[in-house]
Amino acid sequence: MNEQALIQDAQGGNLDAFNTLILHYQDSVFNTALRILGDDDLAADATQEAFISAFKSIASFRGGSFKAWLMRTVTNACYDELRRQKRRPTTPLEPDTEDGDEMDSPRWLADPGMTPDQKAEADEVEHALQHCLNNLPLEFKTVVIMADIQGMDYSEVAVAVRVPLGTIKSRLARARLRLRECLQGFAELLPASFRLEEGSGAS
Amino acid sequence: MNQRDLELLSSYLDGQLKPSDSARLEARLSSDPDLRVVLNDLRAARGLLRRLPMRKAPRNFTLTPQMVGKDPPLPRSYPAFRFVTALATLLLFFTVGLNFLAPQLASQSPAYGMGGGGAPDVFSAQVPAPAATEAPATGAPALEAPAAEVPAEPPSAELAPRPTATAAAADTARQAETPAEKNGFTGDATVQNQPQAQNQIARPVPSTWQLLFAGIAIVGALMMVMMRRQAAERWRRK
Repeated sequence: MNEQALIQDAQGGNLDAFNTLILHYQDSVFNTALRILGDDDLAADATQEAFISAFKSIASFRGGSFKAWLMRTVTNACYDELRRQKRRPTTPLEPDTEDGDEMDSPRWLADPGMTPDQKAEADEVEHALQHCLNNLPLEFKTVVIMADIQGMDYSEVAVAVRVPLGTIKSRLARARLRLRECLQGFAELLPASFRLEEGSGAS
Repeated sequence: MNQRDLELLSSYLDGQLKPSDSARLEARLSSDPDLRVVLNDLRAARGLLRRLPMRKAPRNFTLTPQMVGKDPPLPRSYPAFRFVTALATLLLFFTVGLNFLAPQLASQSPAYGMGGGGAPDVFSAQVPAPAATEAPATGAPALEAPAAEVPAEPPSAELAPRPTATAAAADTARQAETPAEKNGFTGDATVQNQPQAQNQIARPVPSTWQLLFAGIAIVGALMMVMMRRQAAERWRRK
């Protein structure tokens, strides 16, 4: 995929070129939205909104990391969604157990390629992580999702959230520490790999 | 643990420290167990986040033209047609405006002389007329008729020399150009013939050009409409 050529075509109004870019980035964008919002349906809506908004404003893209630019768009769409939620709180569509409690790990979220044990473990880790992510302040959450889940470098994250590099470093450090503190409450759910890493030294 | 150390450890994990800062931190880590604990905590959190499975998007988020309110793609020649049509329309309006304004501008420059003498001329020529016709009807003494006629002539006679030299020159020029005025130089005749004379004098752009511009604008606009329709039909068929 020649990203630059596709971006230029998209800037000229070529929707097919932009759709090719969407197909390439939609998983990353959806996952970012999912981790920020913590809800599949809301994440899908925010992703769609983000791509519509990105196409309409693609003329403003002046080079650099296209992924960072897209992440900024999806972050804005997520913030809009969160603001909407604050105005109109809704009941989550989590499946209930027979006792009426929310199920911790909805089965439909699981990857069908996993064994039952792996599925259970992944569900537990994912649920614990999402819970801890949800408890982070929004600006910390956004930075840690981009740096640690999306694997973006500091400069890309700085472009995406429009804050200086020093602020990114500070937010990332504090977000990681808060996450670690939060995850300690789920220690018994976490896999052995987590506990092993805990004991390893600096690299 | 202060904020500065926390940032250093986090950046160290990501390999974002300068070699000198990195070496200094490693020296501190070897002697400070608390610092090591925090580093391990940060690494553990980062490790878990990195291991989070990437979900596949639940569906394709590709966009349709309707979703982005986009017009169908137009042919490459469309902008050329748009430019030519716009230019022809502008020129048409410009020439119409020019032809409309030019006579007025031409008449405004000598108007100070003409305006002063022209209006009283009309007035003086029209006012005495009823007096002259009334005279026999009422059976007034014959003296009244000359009395009525007497003031009719002096104003025109008085006003005739009043116009300035430029107005006089304009009048003579008009007389020379319009034979109708040669025969009877009355006030009414002057007022009626003035616009015709002006139209004949000042029309900088021939009407054939205006017709040409109008034709280009209309044809161009029709072509644009046809192109849009065809593009929309092709778009719908896709």
